[in-house]
Amino acid sequence: MAPLNMVFGSVLRKNIIFNNAEVLYKRVNLVNAYSMYGPQFVEPVYKKDKQESMYESGEIENILHVPVKAARVDATCSVFHDELVRKFTNLVMRDGRKILARELIEEAFEKIKRIQLQRYHSTEDPEKKTSVLTDPLKIFHAALANSKPVLQLTPIKRGGVTYQVPVPITDKRSQFLAMKWIILAAKDKDPKVHFPEKLAWELVDAAGNQGKVVKKKQDLHRQCEANRAYAHYRWS
Amino acid sequence: MRLNCNLKIPARVPQKEPVPFKEILPLRLKETVSGKGDKTSDVACLHEMSIMFACFKNNEFNQELCSKEISSFQNCYKDFQNKKNIKKRQEQKGILIPGEKNLTHKQLNTLLRRFPPQ
Repeated sequence: MAPLNMVFGSVLRKNIIFNNAEVLYKRVNLVNAYSMYGPQFVEPVYKKDKQESMYESGEIENILHVPVKAARVDATCSVFHDELVRKFTNLVMRDGRKILARELIEEAFEKIKRIQLQRYHSTEDPEKKTSVLTDPLKIFHAALANSKPVLQLTPIKRGGVTYQVPVPITDKRSQFLAMKWIILAAKDKDPKVHFPEKLAWELVDAAGNQGKVVKKKQDLHRQCEANRAYAHYRWS
Repeated sequence: MRLNCNLKIPARVPQKEPVPFKEILPLRLKETVSGKGDKTSDVACLHEMSIMFACFKNNEFNQELCSKEISSFQNCYKDFQNKKNIKKRQEQKGILIPGEKNLTHKQLNTLLRRFPPQ
C-alpha cells in the first residue's frame, strides 16, 4: 500500500487543492488492488433500453471510447432478464444448482399467474378487476418493496450489558433481508407442499401487504421503536 | 541506629523558594498534531428516526402512510454515508479543500507542513 500512496502523492502534489469532492472523484480512480482490470475500464451496459436512454441523454459520450469490462455470463439483454429476479435466484440456489433454482422460481411465477388469474376472473366488479395484478414480475417487485425493512437491530455492548440498538440500513442490505425472509418463509412449510407453491403464496401475500414476511418486518420495526432510547449508542 | 548518622549523608533539604525552573520538554508547539482524539461518532439521523417512529406509532406501523418520513430518513442516512466516504478518502490522502471548517488531523498536518510554524 505504501508505494501506491507514494505514487498517488507524487501525482497529487502538483494540484493538491481541489475545488470540490466531485473533481476529486474524477481524478482519483480507486481500484480494487487485485482487479484484473485497470482503472480506465468501465462496467458494461447490456440492456438495450439503458443504452438507448444513454444515447438520448448524451451520457454515452463518456464511455464510448473507453475500454469496457467483459460482461458476466448471466448478463443478458433478454426481455426476461430482471436484475432482482437474478439476485433472488442466486439466493434460492443451493450448492450451485442454478438450473434447479431458476426452474423453481419460474414454477413459482407460473403459480402466481394462476392464482392471480383465478382472482381476476372471480371478481365481478369491473373496477376491482382492473386493480388485480396478473403480471408475476410486478407481483414479485411489489412483494419485495413491501417486505424491505427500514431499520435493523444490532447488539452493542455497553458497560457489560448488550443493548439491541436500532440502526439505519443501506438499500442493498434491506433488499437482501427482504429476499432472505421471503425464502425462509417459503421454506417453512409442510413437507408435502412444494417450495414453488409456498413461495408463490408468500409473494402474493407480501404484494398485498400482508402475510408472514410483512408481519416479520413490522415486528422488527416495533422492536426498533421499543428500543429507540438506545439509538444514540453506536460504534463510537 | 540509623545509617545516615554514620555515613554523614545530609538529609534532604527543604526546597527553597523560588523553585528553579527545569525545561523537560521544549517550550514550543510541535510541527504536527496527533490524531488521537479524532474519533467521529457513527450516530446520525436521530431526529429523522424519532419523527419516523412517531409516525409509525400513530399509523400502527403501516409504512404507506409514512412514506414521506421514511424517505427523509433514508435520504438523511444516504447523505451521511456519502459525506463519510468522501471524508474518509480525503483523510487518507490529507487533501485540503478550501473553505472546510472541520479539518482532520491529516489535513491539518499537510497544512502545517506547507506553512511551518516559525
